[in-house]
Amino acid sequence: MATPVLEIKDLHVAIDGTPIIKGLTLSVKGGEVHAIMGPNGTGKTSLAQTLMGHPHYTVTSGQVLLDGQDVLAMRTDQRARAGLFLAMQYPSEISGVTTANFLRTAINSLRATQDKKPITLKEFRDRLDEAMRYLEMDLQFANRYLNEGFSGGEKKRNEILQMLMLHPRIAVLDEIDSGLDIDAIKVVAKGVHSLVGTEFGALVITHYQRILAYLKPDVVHIMIDGRIVKSGDKSLAEELETKGYDWVRQEFVHEI
Amino acid sequence: MAPMANATPTDQVRKFAAEQFGDEPIWLRNRRNRLLEVYLAAPLPVRQRTSLKSRKLDRIPIGSAPTAADLPDDLQNLYQVANLITVNGHTKHLSVPTTWSDQGVILLPMTQAVNTAPQLIEEYLGTVVNDEADKFQALNSALWQDGIFLYVPARVTLDHPITVTHFGSSDVSNVLPRSLVVLDEEARATIIEQYLSEPGREKSLWAIATEIVLKDGAHLQYGAMQQLAVTAESFVRRGAQIGRDAHIYWSLGEFGSSLSIAEHTSLLSAPGGQSDSTTVFFGSETQHQDYVSVAKHVAPHTTSRMVARGVMKDDSRSVFTGVTEIKKGALGTDGRQKEKILMLSDTARADVIPSLLIEENDVFAAHAASAGPVDAASIFYLMSRGLSEAEAIRMVVHGFLATVIDAIPVDVLRHNVWNAVERKIAE
Ligand SMILES: Nc1ncnc2c1ncn2[C@@H]1O[C@H](COP(=O)(O)OP(=O)(O)OP(=O)(O)O)[C@@H](O)[C@H]1O
Ligand SMILES: [Mg+2]
Repeated sequence: MATPVLEIKDLHVAIDGTPIIKGLTLSVKGGEVHAIMGPNGTGKTSLAQTLMGHPHYTVTSGQVLLDGQDVLAMRTDQRARAGLFLAMQYPSEISGVTTANFLRTAINSLRATQDKKPITLKEFRDRLDEAMRYLEMDLQFANRYLNEGFSGGEKKRNEILQMLMLHPRIAVLDEIDSGLDIDAIKVVAKGVHSLVGTEFGALVITHYQRILAYLKPDVVHIMIDGRIVKSGDKSLAEELETKGYDWVRQEFVHEI
Repeated sequence: MAPMANATPTDQVRKFAAEQFGDEPIWLRNRRNRLLEVYLAAPLPVRQRTSLKSRKLDRIPIGSAPTAADLPDDLQNLYQVANLITVNGHTKHLSVPTTWSDQGVILLPMTQAVNTAPQLIEEYLGTVVNDEADKFQALNSALWQDGIFLYVPARVTLDHPITVTHFGSSDVSNVLPRSLVVLDEEARATIIEQYLSEPGREKSLWAIATEIVLKDGAHLQYGAMQQLAVTAESFVRRGAQIGRDAHIYWSLGEFGSSLSIAEHTSLLSAPGGQSDSTTVFFGSETQHQDYVSVAKHVAPHTTSRMVARGVMKDDSRSVFTGVTEIKKGALGTDGRQKEKILMLSDTARADVIPSLLIEENDVFAAHAASAGPVDAASIFYLMSRGLSEAEAIRMVVHGFLATVIDAIPVDVLRHNVWNAVERKIAE
């Protein structure tokens, strides 16, 4: 499959009439890791949810294209089938549905659109076991209800597990590192790295330098008040860590 | 109140009864006749949240014999698995393992048991449910047709579930199954009654009654699956009298019939008795469901667990009333109920009414009830992984019911319930 390209062009998003994202342009290709950093309430999650088609967010203008196709015209499930993935900041708990059962259904939904036969139970189990071992997860998690009673860190790891199982083309990871202990951050970074290649790109939303040290992003964007105000290489993240957002505000916000 | 006018003149109903039951023992004929008068005189039951007047139940003829019928092709396989099959209230099929007969188990259609085991029928018939409770119960008790009679002798355990199918064909007006289950001391059995019908051009009236007597230490798993056609209007009354250290497990699946009014009661009349009750219901289109589950603690140290899970779709309407009644003297009783309803549409309605009626101090009683829509965040989450909206809803509904259905102890019943749920979701 060709290298994926996600293009966000002058995107404006509102919630209940309040503008949240105010002209955001960004593009992520296969093989690239981009990071977005920015203060609380700046619209990072709104961007992620909008990309996935959350009904709460209204796109007032702008474009989102995946391989030239109009993402905004797609339903959420169609976006997933086109290869978009969102690791959510707050994953839902689905009572009564085991993680394994859910993942198998999801894989088969994706395969159905590719005219592929449903995955056999054996192949599924093997792949699931492999992915869980890779992420150093207790295999029991597969039989537990999806995210129900999972700790914060366990939920995040479960998001990465889903990503590994579903093989998206562009993944948006919304604070995948928050609530993770140091070892878990390494494991999650390892999971993302295992996919990065010409057929996979990632947009990583984070508040912390630490995960970026492992992920080695190609580009770091700083988002303030619904816009990208500054983009640079990974040294920008380090600078931010020491200087804080006030520095960014003073230096760059007036530029727009 | 004036008696309900009926499509069938009262004299004709009396004549029908006289002809139909002429061969039965005199005590039973007298009983039927007495209750027939109760039926004829009784007004429509008044239910707080279910209007019966508007349903024109009086237009359904009473006591007319339908033409001969058989199970449709897609149900013919039941002949291989069911122990008892009734069609339009008449027994079509009976199968009793010889090993059971050798152990003294009696498994018969009720109308046959009246002649074969008259003393047991006379001893227990009408002792657990109140046959004069309302008009439709009186109808059943007056004109009842075949259901199952089961007697399991003391300390006998039936090694596999008994399955009973009641089927109504498209031209039947009333089906009135009556069943009686008696488990002697420390006996164990599992029984499943299933109700199915073909949609008819006219409405049909089902009045169903099942009585259960559990002697000391007996255990019964009782399952019911109601999947009647949309042209059926059903009234169901079930009761269990639970002896010392006896235990009943109710697993009730309510899916069909346009009107479904059902009540089941556990009478905990001796110390150590236990009742576990699970009701799963699923309403769609304009179905109206009105359920009452009662745990009546009369004796000390009795336990009840009442669980209900309902899913409401389209314009369906449900009422679930859970009653935990603890009488004076029922010390050390533990009665709990938990009801949860999942609403799949804005136009469906559900009322959950848990009530605790407690006359004793030294007891534990609790209830929890909730009704709410599908969590939009959950649907978004599932769709973000590639599930269509329909698949996502299906999965959430599955999850909602899973803990309750998966706990149904009888394999076949559990599968049946899941299949019924699947069908309702896809409907
Ligand atoms: N229903 C709503 N109505 C109005 N404003 C809202 C609503 N929901 C969210 N917001 C606002 O939108 C803004 C962007 O929120 P968002 O969750 O996208 O921020 P974020 O950058 O992800 O923050 P964090 O770093 O804390 O996760 C916030 O100011 C938030 O309060
Ligand atoms: Mg956020």
